[in-house]
Amino acid sequence: MSLVPQVLRSLKNLPPFPLVAQRALILLNKPEVSIQELVEVVKFDPAVTANILRISNSAYFGLRREIHSLHQALLLLGTQELLKIVIASGATRVFSAPTPGYFTERQGLWRHSVSCALMVDLLTRELSLPDQATGFTAGLMHDIGKVVLSLFVEQKFHEIMHLVEQQGVSFQAAEKTVLGVDHAEMGGEMARMWDFPDRLRLAITYHHLDRPEAYTDDLTLLVYLADILVMMFGQDLGMDGLAYTGYPEVLRHFHLREKNLQRILMQFGSAWDEAQIFFGLMGNQDGVQRANRG
Amino acid sequence: MQIVVGVADMKISNQPQQLVVTHALGSCIGVAVYDPHVKVGGLLHYMLPESSLDEEKGRQNPYMFADTGIPQLFRECYKLGAQKQRMLVKVAGGSQVLGGPEHFNIGRRNYAALRKIFLKNNVLIDNEDVGGSKARTMYLEISSGRVWVKIIGQNQVIKDL
Repeated sequence: MSLVPQVLRSLKNLPPFPLVAQRALILLNKPEVSIQELVEVVKFDPAVTANILRISNSAYFGLRREIHSLHQALLLLGTQELLKIVIASGATRVFSAPTPGYFTERQGLWRHSVSCALMVDLLTRELSLPDQATGFTAGLMHDIGKVVLSLFVEQKFHEIMHLVEQQGVSFQAAEKTVLGVDHAEMGGEMARMWDFPDRLRLAITYHHLDRPEAYTDDLTLLVYLADILVMMFGQDLGMDGLAYTGYPEVLRHFHLREKNLQRILMQFGSAWDEAQIFFGLMGNQDGVQRANRG
Repeated sequence: MQIVVGVADMKISNQPQQLVVTHALGSCIGVAVYDPHVKVGGLLHYMLPESSLDEEKGRQNPYMFADTGIPQLFRECYKLGAQKQRMLVKVAGGSQVLGGPEHFNIGRRNYAALRKIFLKNNVLIDNEDVGGSKARTMYLEISSGRVWVKIIGQNQVIKDL
């Protein structure tokens, strides 16, 4: 029996997207963002501002000087880097509920999402693509549908896993069969309700490349690839494991060979270590715990 | 007491109260070795097959690669009195995403690199749980040498190695 009506009903109670992050998302589309605009976005939320300064001073950004103000952060990091930090700091609350349908660890989804965002950045550099905060943000938000779908996946986990194991289909395809809706579609629906920019919404909806439309935007392909690489890296893997489809045409599209992937995974290990501060945004010490407590 | 082995990391122990564990093996591989005579064991979690990818990195962190990490695992155990002919060898991990085996196959390459090293050095694998698309956690109990694997999110031990 399909759970779709129940699932869609649960969307009626979807809380609003955090205001700071919402406003920052609007800035993603602007070619130039002024310091005033950024200050306007964060000024009502001191917790976010404090996080922004913490992140700006982390090893990940490797700045030599200590940053004390937003203005300084903007000067030293540039608009796009700062936007990433604002969005990550602002969006944490959405990820604060546990998602036991997917992750045993309370912060599993947040950690996976941050990892994917970092991986998109790494791929962007490796492929010499323009480094825009949009890529990082899409990586961060790609699995947002899991926040809502977790409850239903938890109820039907054994059925879903049975399909994955018996028929060799992806976890996403099994979700769709068992629940009538999968986490990517669900994320797309949430992005629509939250008025995310279109590109971001489409990257979320198609990040498993299960429909031809997925191939219209490199952003979606990047998020897909980052997600797969993060699964291979292994840390903070969910109960769905690596049960997603690898499409070699994406590697060909980006002219990536296996050696490139190996190199990327190697570099990701260091980036992941340096970026622990992002994991810690949830407000407890798990951020420095290296491992998934499986 | 749990001793956690991170990614590209290794821990050796002869402390009977210790449980060595490595979480979240994706395409990485976990190798557990144990000498029951002296009760010395070690667990390596390596990420990539060959240090020729970046030799500098291989020197900085030998546990990143199979070809630098595995010899180190054995050597460190010898230092605590373990002997090769007595050592039990268990292997887990090397998962892959779905689809053709010829792409995204770092998991399989990781396993192949290990087999090559073991064949050259006459090391037999006593037991293993590799491949598939599962996320595994691997345990080594120093008091007994028992090695087991859990699938992330499922509480029952899926395999005693």
